[in-house]
Amino acid sequence: MTRNANMEHLAGDFYTNNFAKTAKEGSLILNLGPQHPSTHGVLRVIVEMDGEYVMRAEPVLGYLHRMHEKMAEVKTAAQFIPNMGRVDYGHALAWNWAFVGAAEKLAGIEVPERAEYVRTITCECNRIASHLLWWGAYLLDLGAFTPIMYAFDDREKLLDILQVPTGSRLTYSYFRIGGVAQDLNEDCLGRIRKFIPWMRSRLPMYKDLVSDNIILRKRIEGVGVIEPDLCRSFGATGPVARGSGINYDVRRAEPYSIYPKIDFEVPTSELMDARGRYDVRMIEIEQSLRIIEQCLELMPEGDVLVKGAPKPSWKVPKGETYFAVEGGRGKIGVYLASDGGKNLYRTKLRAPGYCNLSLFAEVSRGTILADAVAILGSLDLIIPEIDR
Amino acid sequence: MPAEFIRILIGLVAVAASVGLIGLVMVWVERKVAGHVQRRPGPYEVGPNGLLQPLADALKLVGKQLFMPDGADPILFWLAPVLSFLPVLLLFLPLPLGDGLFTMDVNLGLLLILAFSGLSVLSLLLGGWASNNKYGLLGAARAVAQSVAYEIPLLLSVLAVAFVSGSLDLATMVKEQGTWPWNWNIMTQPLAFLIYIVSALGETNRAPFDLPEAESELTAGFHTEYSGMGFGLFFLAEYANMVVVCSVATVLFLGGWHGPVLPGPVWFVLKVSLLMLLLVFFRWTYPRVRFDQLLNINWKWLLPLSVANLLFTAFFVKLAQYTIVR
Amino acid sequence: MDALLKGLPLLYLSACDAAKTGKNWQVFLPAASLVPAAKRLRAADYFLEDICALDCEEGYVVTYHFAHFEKPGRPSLRVVVPHDAPSLPSIASVFGGAEWHERETRDFHGVIFEGNPNFVPLLIDPDMADCFPLRKDPKSRSKTRDILEAGDVVFCDPSFTLMTPDAPAAGQESGGEKAATA
Repeated sequence: MTRNANMEHLAGDFYTNNFAKTAKEGSLILNLGPQHPSTHGVLRVIVEMDGEYVMRAEPVLGYLHRMHEKMAEVKTAAQFIPNMGRVDYGHALAWNWAFVGAAEKLAGIEVPERAEYVRTITCECNRIASHLLWWGAYLLDLGAFTPIMYAFDDREKLLDILQVPTGSRLTYSYFRIGGVAQDLNEDCLGRIRKFIPWMRSRLPMYKDLVSDNIILRKRIEGVGVIEPDLCRSFGATGPVARGSGINYDVRRAEPYSIYPKIDFEVPTSELMDARGRYDVRMIEIEQSLRIIEQCLELMPEGDVLVKGAPKPSWKVPKGETYFAVEGGRGKIGVYLASDGGKNLYRTKLRAPGYCNLSLFAEVSRGTILADAVAILGSLDLIIPEIDR
Repeated sequence: MPAEFIRILIGLVAVAASVGLIGLVMVWVERKVAGHVQRRPGPYEVGPNGLLQPLADALKLVGKQLFMPDGADPILFWLAPVLSFLPVLLLFLPLPLGDGLFTMDVNLGLLLILAFSGLSVLSLLLGGWASNNKYGLLGAARAVAQSVAYEIPLLLSVLAVAFVSGSLDLATMVKEQGTWPWNWNIMTQPLAFLIYIVSALGETNRAPFDLPEAESELTAGFHTEYSGMGFGLFFLAEYANMVVVCSVATVLFLGGWHGPVLPGPVWFVLKVSLLMLLLVFFRWTYPRVRFDQLLNINWKWLLPLSVANLLFTAFFVKLAQYTIVR
Repeated sequence: MDALLKGLPLLYLSACDAAKTGKNWQVFLPAASLVPAAKRLRAADYFLEDICALDCEEGYVVTYHFAHFEKPGRPSLRVVVPHDAPSLPSIASVFGGAEWHERETRDFHGVIFEGNPNFVPLLIDPDMADCFPLRKDPKSRSKTRDILEAGDVVFCDPSFTLMTPDAPAAGQESGGEKAATA
């Protein structure tokens, strides 16, 4: 009846059979996903269970693999920008930025100052939206059905704000090589100014009702402890690394754009467990609000697209480059190599979720299944970014 | 035909009808409360303020194709929802809705209810096992462990009240309480009330203890493979169980049908509704407790507390007996 | 970087223009030095960012990008493997995250990593795992030196002609006058 390691005629697919080769006698092999109510996306995790305990876990990827890197080889640089909006729908503007930043770095194009500020404001708004989505979905995983509704209420405001300049609600292709597509008009700036105190008024409520709730605390405290050395071994970045006490933020480590001028804190947590990662992300929402405020004050007048900006048929000059930005999930890296031809010779997209998920197998060993789900949620995974 | 038999028959018919009605009302209440807690209106399209929504849901469920997964045991698979639903009807019989208004005059009414509510565990187990589905199996295993665990503090807390009232007959227990809240058993047994409510949540698999049907982990636990009326029966049984549990709480702790001015049955229904609303609230407010934490709460907290409560109650009842005699 | 890799047989070591290329060191290694070099970087607390293969005329240039949580800079190790026998030792025993990066490189380019603990296809379906989408048509491949920049050469083995067709007179050991800037 149940498929366990004893069955001779294993009817599983390639990955289940591969996994079951080294399974113990009498253990239960269960597939979490790929269709799963825990709203991470299309992720499949094969677990070997001994009762309620997870002995071994293996994520199986590829269900959302669209081969963006091949698409880059048949497109010009400008044609590839919309792809970057689809790689990670949570923080699409950061991926936009990583790509156009790489192209600008390679070609030596300098972006006008106002464009830098517009990029920063919109990217940080997107980061808040991404964290809110994570927060609501994580609590849904843990069985609290209500916070996601409140998070989406806030998120709707942000999506409406970002729709004005970009034209999209989720998969943005707003940045251009040399600036952004359009300026933020007065209406948009006014809405942002109204949004900041609104969000600030909601955060204490979330803290009191959700973050300090004893049931939630019991679910995530002590769960999924990730040692800093494990982060180093797997290349985990972003809130996963910061939740383990590593003070690493690309905005400080490899400064880009106008971030050196902005005063903001990089939150870290010494807790190393899911609670630490949770706290880091909640504080990041507040810090993003600070960044947006300062940008609104400091933003100069001017163009938002450099004069003589590359046209759609522009060829990337010869060379290679690697550019990294801080996305909601961690360090987003884009590696571009060009031989001066019409299309991009090689584009490699380094997704933070990819490295973050690869440590799941290590971390979830020996935990209860409910804890494995809690750990998965605390890693803040967006599967399209992992599969590309 | 003996009057007793006719009485039970009428009662059963009334119970069967009202359980269906309760199901419909509870679906609407649950979804409306969920909506308003989540800052949205809930159902409002179908009928005025969404009142006909449960009817639409029921029609949908009835109209769905009944299929069985490959490899499932047909007898057990279809027995499980039926078994979850039928015993619940029996549990309503000893409940006194008003003065003398009960279907069955049994002087062990409490014992009857506790004994038959244990049958629901069997149906969960059968449903999960017969589904030929690993999620179902895990859900069933959890459900059994949880139900078996939470039976004990439930029993002990209820027993304490039985000590105070001096009888296991529900009608007598209500009569012992007075009209006003300060005469109710909740005043003399507050701890037992709290333990009872928590155990009731555990017994009926309601959030925050709804692990057997944990949507986000096990897809739907023991009723993953059921669709249409099979699922509908499980659903109805859950609501009916909730009503039974709240009714027992009302009878034992909140004075049953006692109350000023209004007639007995009205008060009874009001009190049960209040408790049901409380349970619905819990579901939409709290996250889910992890399984081992759930069992820990039971074995490490509820059990010792309920035993202590029972011992104290026994001690004071004996003391009262001797002092009164003197 | 030169101090870190002292003693290992290298093919080419140069300091790159970080403002343009994003990396500050590039080291071409023979396949045999790969695992020892990775071990040294791991001991120096570097983390693996990604593994990226580039299909050039002379072979697959497999680049390993590293970064550090505390120190700035991005050293990159490069190994060139021939098209007909693309095989490298796996560094999954040193960096746990390398397992997935190597599986992905095998999916896209067909580079085999010996010693990878779970070397099954990662992103591409196992049924069509041999399609290697990022392999280029031999006509559209470019030379390595047409894409990568030579940088400030610190050391170049005389037999290594991929980057500089006219190799410098003699291989200069590490610590030469071309001091590196981070």
